[in-house]
Amino acid sequence: MTALAGAIQIAGGLALAPLLPGTVQAIKARLQGRRGPSPLQPYRELRRLWGKTLADPQPTTIVYRLAPCVVAAAMALALFLVPIAGLSPAWPLGNDVVVLVGLLALARFALAAASWDTGSGFALMGSSRDLTLSVFAEALLLLAIVLVALPAGSTDLVAIEAAAGGSSVWSEPVHWCAAAAFALVVLFETGRQPIDNPDTHLELTMIHEGPLLEYAGRDLALLEWSAAARHWIVLVLAAELFLPHWGGFGAQLGCLAVALVLLCAALALSETAQAKMRILRAPALFAGGCLLALVGLASWLVGGAT
Amino acid sequence: MSGLDWLVELGIVLLATGTVGPLIGLNGGRTLALQALGIGLLGLGGALVLFGAAPIGAGFHDNLSPAFGIDGLSGFFLATLAIVALPALLYAHDYLAGANRAPALLALSGLFLLSLAGFVTARDPSTLLAWWELMTLAPAAAILVRSTGPAARHTVFVYLAVTHLGGAGVWISLLALAHYGALSDPGSLVAQGAAVQALIVIAAIVGFGTKAGLMPLHSWLPRAHPVAPSHVSALMSGVMIKVALYGLIRVLFEWAAPAPLWSGLVVLALGLLSALGGILYALVQHDLKRLLAFSSIENVGIVALGLGASILFASEGDSTWAAIAFAAALLHVLNHAVFKALLFLVAGAFERTVGSLELDRVGGLLRRMPWTGGAFLVGSMAIAGLPPLNGFASEWLTLQALIHVAIDSTPGVGLAGALAAAGLAATAALAVFCFVKVVGLVLLGAPRTSAAAEAVEAPAAMRFAPVFLAACCVALGAAPGLLLPALMGLVAPGGELSAQPGLAVPGTGSLPSPWLLAGLLALSALLWRLRGARRSAPIPAWACGQPLDSRLEWSSAGFTKPLRLALESVMRPRREITVLRERGLVQSARYRSEIPHLFDTALYAPVQRGALKGARIARRIQSGSVRAYAAYLLALMLVLLALVRTGAIG
Repeated sequence: MTALAGAIQIAGGLALAPLLPGTVQAIKARLQGRRGPSPLQPYRELRRLWGKTLADPQPTTIVYRLAPCVVAAAMALALFLVPIAGLSPAWPLGNDVVVLVGLLALARFALAAASWDTGSGFALMGSSRDLTLSVFAEALLLLAIVLVALPAGSTDLVAIEAAAGGSSVWSEPVHWCAAAAFALVVLFETGRQPIDNPDTHLELTMIHEGPLLEYAGRDLALLEWSAAARHWIVLVLAAELFLPHWGGFGAQLGCLAVALVLLCAALALSETAQAKMRILRAPALFAGGCLLALVGLASWLVGGAT
Repeated sequence: MSGLDWLVELGIVLLATGTVGPLIGLNGGRTLALQALGIGLLGLGGALVLFGAAPIGAGFHDNLSPAFGIDGLSGFFLATLAIVALPALLYAHDYLAGANRAPALLALSGLFLLSLAGFVTARDPSTLLAWWELMTLAPAAAILVRSTGPAARHTVFVYLAVTHLGGAGVWISLLALAHYGALSDPGSLVAQGAAVQALIVIAAIVGFGTKAGLMPLHSWLPRAHPVAPSHVSALMSGVMIKVALYGLIRVLFEWAAPAPLWSGLVVLALGLLSALGGILYALVQHDLKRLLAFSSIENVGIVALGLGASILFASEGDSTWAAIAFAAALLHVLNHAVFKALLFLVAGAFERTVGSLELDRVGGLLRRMPWTGGAFLVGSMAIAGLPPLNGFASEWLTLQALIHVAIDSTPGVGLAGALAAAGLAATAALAVFCFVKVVGLVLLGAPRTSAAAEAVEAPAAMRFAPVFLAACCVALGAAPGLLLPALMGLVAPGGELSAQPGLAVPGTGSLPSPWLLAGLLALSALLWRLRGARRSAPIPAWACGQPLDSRLEWSSAGFTKPLRLALESVMRPRREITVLRERGLVQSARYRSEIPHLFDTALYAPVQRGALKGARIARRIQSGSVRAYAAYLLALMLVLLALVRTGAIG
C-alpha cells in the first residue's frame, strides 16, 4: 500500500501534473462557452517544446542555463514530500511542510536570478511582482501551516493528514479558517485570477509568465512542467488537508481523484467569474487572510481543545 | 596542567605577539601568521571544550581579580570567532598589501581579535567590562586609521556615542549581578526578588542589545559597518555583534535564570522588529556594504527570535524545546557569522577592482570574477535561507521552534509565537527578494560601468578566503545536526538528541539535509544532461525590438518598486519629480526618491534635538570664568552644609 502511494507520489506527480492545468483550461473554456483545448493539451505542448532548440540570449551566464534545471529539480524533490492518500514511504527526505516551503522559495530565487541574468525588462517585472507577493503569501502560508499543525502537534505532513481526516475537524472553526487561508495561497502559487492571469503575456498583467519569456525549447518545457508540478503539489495538499476524505487507502485515493477534479473546477470557476485584481490590492487580500488565520488560531487556543 | 590548557595558552601568547608584531618590527605576513595561528589554537581549544572536553581555567566569580576560563558556551563563540577570523586574516594579507598605514591596521585587527576572545573567556566583572570597552574601541580606531574625512569622524562619533549610552546597561547589569553574587552562584539572584531581576534583565537587553544591533537600538550599525576595512567589517558583522549576544545569553540563561516569561516576550518582539525592519531597510539600500549591514540586523533578529522562544519554552516547563530553540539560535549565530563574513570579504574585493559598491554601477561580475563571484552567489543563497545551504537549516529550526510555541503554549503566548512565525516567514521571503536583487545587480547581466566591465579577479588570498567560507556554508548546510546535541547541552537541563547529519526533531517532519543536498545536486545534474546543450545562434534579450542598452537596464529601485508601493504606509518613501518645460515642451525630467530611515527621523532626531537644546541651556551657566566656577562651588557647599544642618542628609 505504502509502495503504491510512493509510486503515485512520484510517477503521478511527474506524469499527471500537466493534466491539472489542462483540466482547468478545458473546464474554463466550457464555462465560457468555447470548445477549448482538450485536457491533454499541456502534454502536446511539452512534446513540441522538447523537440526544439534552446534560446541563447546574450549576455547570460551559467545562472540562466542552470535555472530551469534547479527549478525542476526543486519541484521534483518537493513531490517526494507530499504524501498521497495519507501515506508516504520512508523516503530519506522526510515529509516536513516547512522544507516544502523552502523548496518553493529556491525555485523562485533561481527564476528571479535568471531574469536578472537576461536583463530583460519583462522578466524582471514578473519576478519583482512575484517576489513582492511572495512576502505576503509566505507569511499567510506559514500561518495556515500553524493552523493545520495544531490538531496534529507536528509539521509532518503524514501526521497532519491523519489528523485532518474523519469528520470531527469540520466542527472546528480553525479548520475553516485554515482552508480559507490556504485557498489564497493556492491562487497565488498556481498563478490564477484574481491574483495572476496565466493566459496572458501582456506586460501589464503578467507575474509568473514573465520570467519564462526568455526561455525556449527544453528549458521552457522544464519550466512549464514545474508550473504544472506546483499545481499538483498545492492542489494535492489542499485536497488532503482541507477536503473530506475517509476510509481505507483505496477510498482515500478515490476521494483524492474526485477532490482534484473539483478543485480544478473551482479554479476554473474563479478564473471565469473574477477579473484580475490590481496587483497592489493583492497584499491587502493576503493580509485579510492572515487576520482570518489569527482569528482561527485564537479560537483554537482559547477553546482549549488541547 | 593538561595538554588543552597548554594549547590555549600558546594560542593567547601567539595572538598577543601577533598583535604587537608591527611594533616589534615583524613584517605583515608574519604578523598575520602569528595572529592566525593564535586564534586558530584558541578556536580549536574552544571547539574541543564544546564537544565534551573538561572546561579550562577558572569559573565565574564576583570579586575584581582577573580570571579567565573556557566553558562550552565560551568555546562555541571562540570556535565561531576562529572560523571567521582565519579567512579574514588570510584575506587581509592581500587586502592590506600596499595599503596606507597597513601596520597600524594589522595591530588593530589583532587587538580587536584579542578583545573578542577576551570578552568570551573573561570570568570576572572587571575584565569582562575592560574587554567589552576595548572591543568597542578597536574597530573605531581601525575606521579612523583607514579614512580620516569628516564623514568617517562623524560615523565614529555616532558609533561611540550610541554604543556607550547603550553600553551603560552592560555596566549596570554586570555590576549589579556581581554585587548580588550572581556571577558565581546564579541561584542567589532569586532571593533578591523579581524587581532586582527585572532591572538586571532590562539593563542587559538594552546594553547588549545596542551592541548586537537589535532594533530600535541599532542606529550605529548601518553607519559603522560599511566604512570599516572589509576584513574588520567581516569581524564586526560576523562576530562582534554575536559576542554581544553572548553577553545577553549569559545573563538571560545563566546569571538571571530562570528568565521571566515577559522577558521572553520582549526578546521575541525585539527580534521580530529587527528581523522585519532590518531586511526591509536592507532591501531599499543602494550601497552593497550598507545593505549587508542592515541584513546583519535582520539576522540578529532571527537569533533573538530563537532565544525568545527558548525563554518562553523554559518558563512553560518544556525543557526539550527550550534546548532546541536555544540550539537554533546558536546555529544561526554560527551560520550568519560564516556567510556574512563571506559577503563582506567579497564586497571588499569588488570595491577594490570596481571602485564603487553602488549597486546600480556594478553588474556582470560573475563572468569577470568567477571565484569570488561564485562564492558570493553561494553566500547570497545561504543568507536568503534557501535549501540546501546552512541558512536554511538554522532558519528551519527557528521556524519550527516558533511554530511549536504556537502549538504547545497558553493562548497569549501561542498567538505571539504564531505572529513571530509568520513574521519570520515574511522575513525569509524578503531576504530572497533582497539577495536576488544583490546577485542580479552585482553578478549577473551586462556590466553597467566601464570599471565593472574591466574588473579583474582578486589576488589568490582574497580568492581563497571566500571560497573556503562558501565551502563552510555548504558543509554546515549538509550536516547541521552534528552540532545540535552539543549546542542543546549548553543550557542546563537540555533534551537529548542523537548526533546525525540531518535535523531529526520530534514534532516535525525532520530536515534530512544531506539527502536534500544530494537530491538537488543529482536531479539538477540529471536534468542538465537530459536537456542537452543544443542552442540556437546567440540572440539579444527581448526588449520590444530595440537593443537592450544601459538606459533600459533595471535598477535597484525599479526592482523593489512594487514592494515599496505595497508598503508605502509603513516605509513612507519620499519622491520628487522635477520637470523642466520651455515653451510647452518638456526639456528634461528629473526623478529623485529616497526612503528615510524612520528610526532616525522619528526616534533619534527628537532625542538629539532635545539633547542639543539641553546643552544650550546648560551653556548659559558655563561662562568660562574661574571666579564663576568658584562661586558655584561655594554655593553648592553652602547648600550641602545647610542640608546637613537641617538633617535632610547625612
